[in-house]
Amino acid sequence: MDGSTPVSRRSLLHGMGALGALAYLPGCKGGSKESVGAATESVGDGWARYKGTTINFISENTPPSAAIAANLKPFEELTGIKVNISQMELTKLVEKVSLDFSSGQAGFHVIYADPYQVLAPFSEGLVDLTKFLDKKDFPALENGLSDFISTQLDAGGRFLDRQKLYALPYDTPTMIWHYRADLFEKHKDKMAHDLGFDPTPSIQLTWEQYYAIARWFDKNAKSEIPYGTGHQAKQHDALMCDFSNVLWAYGGDYFQAGPELGLVGTKKPGKSTLSGNEAIAAAEFYNKLLKLAHPGSRTWDWDGVASAFQAGQLAMCPNWHEFAASNEKALPGKVGYAPLPRGPKRSANIWGGTGVGINANASDKEQAAAWLFINWATSPATQFMTLASEKGGGTPTRRSVYARPDVEAAKKRPSQLPNILAAEAVNEAWKPENIGLRPKVATWNQLDTILFTQVSRMLAGEIKPDEAMRSSAEKFDVVNKV
Amino acid sequence: MKRAGPSFEMRMMLPALLVLASLSLIPFVTLIVMSFSHVKLMGGIRFENAALENWHRLIEDADVRSSWVTSLVYFALTLGVEMASGIVFALVLHRVGRGRNLLLALAIVPMFMAPIVVGLLGRFLTDSTLGLYAWALRILGFEGDLLAGKTSALLTVIGMDVWEWTPLVALVTFAGLSAVPAPLVEAAAVDGAGYFQTLRYIVFPQIRRVLLVALLVRAMDAIRFFDIITITTNGGPADATKIIPVRLYETAFRFRELGYASVIGILMLAFSILMANAFVRVLGEKGLTR
Repeated sequence: MDGSTPVSRRSLLHGMGALGALAYLPGCKGGSKESVGAATESVGDGWARYKGTTINFISENTPPSAAIAANLKPFEELTGIKVNISQMELTKLVEKVSLDFSSGQAGFHVIYADPYQVLAPFSEGLVDLTKFLDKKDFPALENGLSDFISTQLDAGGRFLDRQKLYALPYDTPTMIWHYRADLFEKHKDKMAHDLGFDPTPSIQLTWEQYYAIARWFDKNAKSEIPYGTGHQAKQHDALMCDFSNVLWAYGGDYFQAGPELGLVGTKKPGKSTLSGNEAIAAAEFYNKLLKLAHPGSRTWDWDGVASAFQAGQLAMCPNWHEFAASNEKALPGKVGYAPLPRGPKRSANIWGGTGVGINANASDKEQAAAWLFINWATSPATQFMTLASEKGGGTPTRRSVYARPDVEAAKKRPSQLPNILAAEAVNEAWKPENIGLRPKVATWNQLDTILFTQVSRMLAGEIKPDEAMRSSAEKFDVVNKV
Repeated sequence: MKRAGPSFEMRMMLPALLVLASLSLIPFVTLIVMSFSHVKLMGGIRFENAALENWHRLIEDADVRSSWVTSLVYFALTLGVEMASGIVFALVLHRVGRGRNLLLALAIVPMFMAPIVVGLLGRFLTDSTLGLYAWALRILGFEGDLLAGKTSALLTVIGMDVWEWTPLVALVTFAGLSAVPAPLVEAAAVDGAGYFQTLRYIVFPQIRRVLLVALLVRAMDAIRFFDIITITTNGGPADATKIIPVRLYETAFRFRELGYASVIGILMLAFSILMANAFVRVLGEKGLTR
């Protein structure tokens, strides 16, 4: 990532504020936490013009929102705008946003716009943010749009039209390989001897080797670790995410257009390619892998598999990198991170980032106040605050935050910013050849449900892998009317 | 000369009747209209005529049929187990002398919990990593996860509902048992009737109406069972626990196909009415509804 940006008075002040915030990190001397995130206070002009306005922010219960909810005071003092934050499970969020948009009202002004479940189906309900980006009388977006990681800006913020921007990148969870570094280190030589390859997790290893490593742990280290691998294979969105990593690695995909559909998206994705040989091979491998996995896997979503890993039940698992902070709390210094294994085609690491947008039904005043909030919430200083917050543990979407020396230094233990311990693996996972982007289509909620239901049926032994994929493809085509 | 117009009583009730009508009739009519429409949500709600498309789709939808089968299995098992165990518990409680009130108070605690809490509690107790029940089952040789298997998942969510609502059946039955005239039971004893004979010929006929009320209450609730499944299995694995309310929720709020969801909802409503009528007919035969 390149972090080179021109230094303006505003960004200088932001930077000073952020450095001030660093002084208040846990474990650092002096100061109080109230000052964290106060970077924008000194900016002045334009921030206080909507004093007295109240805006409601609906978000998934993610670490960045927890951090922002705990550190809203600087924003409220700076702007005089009161922010109410509702945090909930993603499915509930989608339901509430859907009802809010349908009502024609704006119960929620700032929307946590998941690209697939909110942005694609409801893009008409979101404000095109370019109208605020160009306004001179509003505080400028610090460092401009180029400070966001471009893939994430497209995937999380655009739909159908590259000229429009519906959301600013807010969080960026990405699935990577979590493993018990202490156990791998302890058994490395014997594993290498038995398996015939260096088992150290890396992007060079294949899914078949991942399987062999998991089986090795099951056979040789049962007294230390009950299971070699665990997965998020509950009949839930999580199962689609877990399976997609393997699907793409094996060269399969949801539609002919492949990863391109993950950037700007489409309303007409065409016929599904899930019945292709690559997708079937992926399903066959996934079925084999899950037979070996912890039996609880079929009841776990991402939280479940993270809890099991942190409880010392699993030697390794694929999961969102933002669990690094809680891994460090549960197993300090014992966890390592790597990009996911490769299949015959590539390594694929599903990206689950989300943007924040504005409800188009809100009044002009509310929209403007909401813009000030999302400007602040995605600013480098606030992004750094969420990274450092004990309440949160999100990871930044800004290049400039990753370029900070203190963030760079935190990539090694002992780290004050535990999520950054996964940064090296995540940076590799974000490379265009390794990132996994779901198709951004308006019917995704149905397609997602079809896929995870059919894969769940496969895992339950009800249907064979090829049936699961063909059946998914047929149902996709019915939903998409092709 | 007789005064024209509604009676005094009717005039007094009229506002309440109008409120009730608006709360039930308007949504009902809307539901019917929606079932023949494609409902567009963005930019304000719009109904576009779909004629019989939604109803035709229902006939061909194997997934919805499968959910109905699961629902009926769930319905029969839940009601059967809750009624049987509730009655047994009430009979035991009725025989207890000292500490009966304490036992009763403890027994009814589950039904004061929100179903979502029951689901969460059940999920933790059966979790194969840290669950108490999972630990007990492992000692008995069961290595799997209760919510991971198709049959075990359905039985487990049924078990959670049974745990929560059996106390209600027990409470209602216990109230009925307390109202059985003691001289009748004593007379049966004098005539040499055993415990089970007394139950069959004296007690059950006396409490039959109360049992039917308990059955009716639980049946109406079981038709719309939702929370525990959502929090535990999300309808899985392999749709094994996707009963019709979960399918309805998914269609309406996840897929936003409100027209088709209305059709599913109308069928649920019809099923509820049929069940209620069946129970009321039985009650009517026994004179309770007269």
